[in-house]
Amino acid sequence: MRIVCPFCGERELGEFTYLGDAKPLRPAAGGSEDEVFDYVYLRDNIAGETSEHWYHGGGCRAWLKIARNTLTHEISSVEPAAGVGQAAK
Amino acid sequence: MAEFSWASRSPLEDVLVVGAYGARDVEPGISLTEVRNFDLIQMMARRGKWAEMASTAKDRFGVAAPDVPKAVSASDVTLIWSGPDQFLVLSKGGKHAMDILSQAFSQSASLSDQSHARALISVSGTKARAMLAKLSSLDLHPASFPIGAAAATSIDHTSVNLWRGNDRPDGQAVFNLLVFATFAESLWHTMLDAAAEYGVDIRLSEELG
Ligand SMILES: [Zn+2]
Repeated sequence: MRIVCPFCGERELGEFTYLGDAKPLRPAAGGSEDEVFDYVYLRDNIAGETSEHWYHGGGCRAWLKIARNTLTHEISSVEPAAGVGQAAK
Repeated sequence: MAEFSWASRSPLEDVLVVGAYGARDVEPGISLTEVRNFDLIQMMARRGKWAEMASTAKDRFGVAAPDVPKAVSASDVTLIWSGPDQFLVLSKGGKHAMDILSQAFSQSASLSDQSHARALISVSGTKARAMLAKLSSLDLHPASFPIGAAAATSIDHTSVNLWRGNDRPDGQAVFNLLVFATFAESLWHTMLDAAAEYGVDIRLSEELG
């Protein structure tokens, strides 16, 4: 598998580290216990298109948000992750 | 009170032996040179300050700061892209050292002095690409990696900044490589292993190429 880093270009998988699901958003301050539990622990196990965070630690050290199909490993988009996952305003 | 003497020394001091290495009775296909005694500053724009930092850099260095993976040179400095909104400043002789740059960029950037935290190795010779192909997954063909191309990448699981300098007078390409000091010895041995079959000419230099 190769990932096209928006900063570095196409690189081998070994330069990247997988973090996990990019969908959960940190609950606003004062969020309920259920919301925080959901944010920290609960994940969908998706067969198909997922949204994930990856870290280009062996390259430019940028965090990336990647849309990947778990059935085919096809990557349909890679974008900088800056700001993604921030607490709801 | 105890007196300390903090003499700076190259991380390759114990392992680098100037001269021939590997295959004998052939014209060395690889030249490996360690460059010592340089100033190296990591510059990172503060949030939203890239344009201001780039403008200060243009005034100060006389070349546009790289915002894509490239290394750009002026007469006394090379700016090497190292990631989004950041680059390395490589120079000699203190003109672009930490104390001076931290003044000039105090409004726009965060700086970190890496002068004694990295080793600088330059690889050249007729077999340089063949040797590097064993270590790097990047395409270093001239069409993909021309003079001035740069990359933040990994070699032997070690982060490096790799860029192509100006060709040598004999026309051979030069690949420069900055590696963390504590990984330098390990990488040096890996490079020697990869280069040995071609015959290696090992040198030391105080000059930036
Ligand atoms: Zn990258």
